[in-house]
Amino acid sequence: MDEKNLKQGLLGLVVALVEVIQDLVERQAIRRIEGGSLDEDEIERLGKALIDLDEAIEKIKEDNDLEDVVNSVMGSLDDVAEDLLNKFLNPESWAEEVDEK
Amino acid sequence: MNEAMKEGRYIYSVVSSAVESELGDVGIGESRVYLVPCGEIAAVVHSCVAEPYVTKDEEKAKEWVLEHSYVIDLATDRFGTLIPFSFGVIFIGDDDSVRFWLEENYDLLKEELEKVRGRSEYTVQIFCDEDLIKEKIVTSDPELLKLRDEIEKMPKGTAYIYQKKLGLKVKEELIKETNRLAGEFGVYIEELVDEVKIEKKVSWIPDKYKGMMMIAAFLCLVSDGNVDALGNLLDGIDKREGFSVRFSGPWAPFSFVQLKGT
Repeated sequence: MDEKNLKQGLLGLVVALVEVIQDLVERQAIRRIEGGSLDEDEIERLGKALIDLDEAIEKIKEDNDLEDVVNSVMGSLDDVAEDLLNKFLNPESWAEEVDEK
Repeated sequence: MNEAMKEGRYIYSVVSSAVESELGDVGIGESRVYLVPCGEIAAVVHSCVAEPYVTKDEEKAKEWVLEHSYVIDLATDRFGTLIPFSFGVIFIGDDDSVRFWLEENYDLLKEELEKVRGRSEYTVQIFCDEDLIKEKIVTSDPELLKLRDEIEKMPKGTAYIYQKKLGLKVKEELIKETNRLAGEFGVYIEELVDEVKIEKKVSWIPDKYKGMMMIAAFLCLVSDGNVDALGNLLDGIDKREGFSVRFSGPWAPFSFVQLKGT
């Protein structure tokens, strides 16, 4: 891997993690609104801040050609999460896997 | 032969055949492929040094795997459905070692060959147009429809958050709906096949299906007599609006033979 690839991979990883956090923040914002603890102005301000964050992330991705790297990191994270969930939901398959080894 | 040059036998498959015969110089690196019989079954092998096939050259590796598959296809044509081996399995020893292994596991191998006789493995992958299903979900739910209309009138920031909320709800419903569909298709498919498994890791899909959402991937062991009926069923699904089916095979039954315990 040359230096440019390394930089791109690392930046892609960072951006992917920021996107994960972005998703959590957005879900939390929805929960707050549903909980009724924000007034209309606060909701609008929060929404605009989230738009700014989203635009900033998109710009970094565009400027550094990161779309593919980020997608691939997200895909791998999905696989890891999927595997983990399956093991929680279905402990027998876990036991089988251990037996096979 | 010194320690580093132990004799070995590269194995392609186990077939139903009671007689010695040859497939010719069709193996990996044009090796001479022949049968080592034991009772009514035989191993399809070539003679080699007992060292793994390893290369850093990707083209070479591809070539080996293709040659491996070619021998499996050829043996299937000649002896019927067989027990295929993955690329790279080598016995340490000579024909007698292979014969000894066949003898030791004779009942199990015979049983597996019986199970796959007159059958082949097929893969079935069902894809759908995600946007189309999402649109159906929204238009069939008055609450979601109302939310979507309201979002259009909201100020920018507020609309952004509610759009996310709508997106999350739709996604949740999408997962429920695709799981329901996968289950429904699975039940139809199950009626026409001898055995079905869920393909957990789909490693490659053709470009044609990229951008579509895969809702189900099955590996099916199908009797030769049922292949047309399965094809017709899948054609029916393929013709539904927003759905696309990839049906491929016949393959050697890699997913349905059990070599555990051998």
